[in-house]
Amino acid sequence: DKILAPAARKLVAEHDLDVNAIEGTGKGGRILKEDVQRAVKEGSAKK
Amino acid sequence: MADKFDVIVIGAGPGGYVAAIRAAQMGLKVACVEKWIGKEGKVVHGGTCLNVGCIPSKALLEASHKFVEAQHDFADLGIETGDVSMDVKKMMARKDKIVKNLTGGISGLFKANGVTAIEGTGKVISSKQVEVTDQDGKATTYDADNIVVAAGSVPVEIPPTPLKEGMVVDSTGALEFQETPKRLGVIGAGIIGLELGSVWSRLGSEVTVLEAMDDFLPMVDGAIAKETQKLLKKQGLDIRLGARVTGSEIKGEEVVVKYSDAKGEQEATFDKLIVCVGRKPYTKGVIADGVGIETDERGFIHVDDQCRTSVPSVYAIGDCVRGPMLAHKASEEGIMVADIIAGHKAEMNYDAIPNVVYTFPEVAWVGLTEQEAKAKGIEVKTGSFPFAASGRAMANNATEGQAKIIADAETDRVLGVHIVGQHAGEMIAQGVIALEFGSSAEDLALTCYAHPTMSEAVHEAALAVEGHAIHMANRKKK
Repeated sequence: DKILAPAARKLVAEHDLDVNAIEGTGKGGRILKEDVQRAVKEGSAKK
Repeated sequence: MADKFDVIVIGAGPGGYVAAIRAAQMGLKVACVEKWIGKEGKVVHGGTCLNVGCIPSKALLEASHKFVEAQHDFADLGIETGDVSMDVKKMMARKDKIVKNLTGGISGLFKANGVTAIEGTGKVISSKQVEVTDQDGKATTYDADNIVVAAGSVPVEIPPTPLKEGMVVDSTGALEFQETPKRLGVIGAGIIGLELGSVWSRLGSEVTVLEAMDDFLPMVDGAIAKETQKLLKKQGLDIRLGARVTGSEIKGEEVVVKYSDAKGEQEATFDKLIVCVGRKPYTKGVIADGVGIETDERGFIHVDDQCRTSVPSVYAIGDCVRGPMLAHKASEEGIMVADIIAGHKAEMNYDAIPNVVYTFPEVAWVGLTEQEAKAKGIEVKTGSFPFAASGRAMANNATEGQAKIIADAETDRVLGVHIVGQHAGEMIAQGVIALEFGSSAEDLALTCYAHPTMSEAVHEAALAVEGHAIHMANRKKK
């Protein structure tokens, strides 16, 4: 039940990532666009 | 033996009164000391902001703007008004009534929250004692587990232009003119100078603003400052940059100001002169010697990020400590400090404090300017959108200005939002929220904005960061 910023939601869908494997650094643990960018770069949230 | 309190707050301005109310809400026994004597000879709450700052200046800005609209803009809308006139005394009386309502409102909030209002001049005499001297000179000592100093600030006076009641005045005096001066000089083209200059210019004064610095509004994003300067000049404010005031002389009913600029020695003659070159912390006499609270050479009380002074039981907030001298900054510090005293962990985000200049159009910003980001070595992308392309702005007859977003080139995180335009002060709240939540420019671009609204300019500016604005031709990527 993670909260994603709008641009993060879009990027997660584009890369078909596992949201549960992404650490959110935004306010209250929200997943930011930059968190997803990092996961894409590191290949850390593949399904 | 006088009462003992959990918290004694010195000062009932935006920092102090908010701290007092919050602390009382947290179940603490609170007193708030205030010495400000209002127009009716009694102690009033609300501090500078309510009595001689934010609120009265906005009341005059709004009234004078409506006057200008009625005189010059209504005809464009098809409204025939005939001659429109302004009763300055009535405008002032309306302002005074608003101030009275609001300051009385705070006293009411104190009662409702159980805050003990103490009248007099407060002084910290030990780490847990405050001495209050009342109007008759009688001193009483109160004990407190915690003390919050919220003593505020006062206008800076400069030797070349000593004040003379009703003629050479500070911001307070400029809110009290009972008629429109024919020729008005303003020293300082900061926020206060521009706002007060605007009020009287709109009411018919010939206004000259003398500013010592060469740059106009240097804390504002370059593109926004440039457009603002152009707009204010068009409205009739004669803003002279690089003009250093060296002296003044009162000759009968006139004040002659001497200044030097790039062309050499100059002279200007005014009927009234407003000195608003800045404000300084008001800390003299607020803390007794030997308490161990450190102040810096300019009088600011030294505090850490949580507004703790060098004495653990004493906090200081608002204009008498570092940071921007803004009412909302003082209030947020007041809440943080009250929460800490009540045993909570609290902090405030100094990177997301909005700034507003209430000229017309308004100027508002939050976060970094483009020049600040570059100075920090951050690579940025920017997007701008002019209100001239906004349907709502056209309908409002307010097409001047633009919205600008600055984002980190790598992460797309929004670093700054800058707006000059009608209602910019309201619109900037969305920029503050964007910064608080670590929003990217794309987050704003993917957000649905109501149409037609002025806020759509922020949406389009966010889209423009990637060159995807819909309602204007995007700049070609280099």
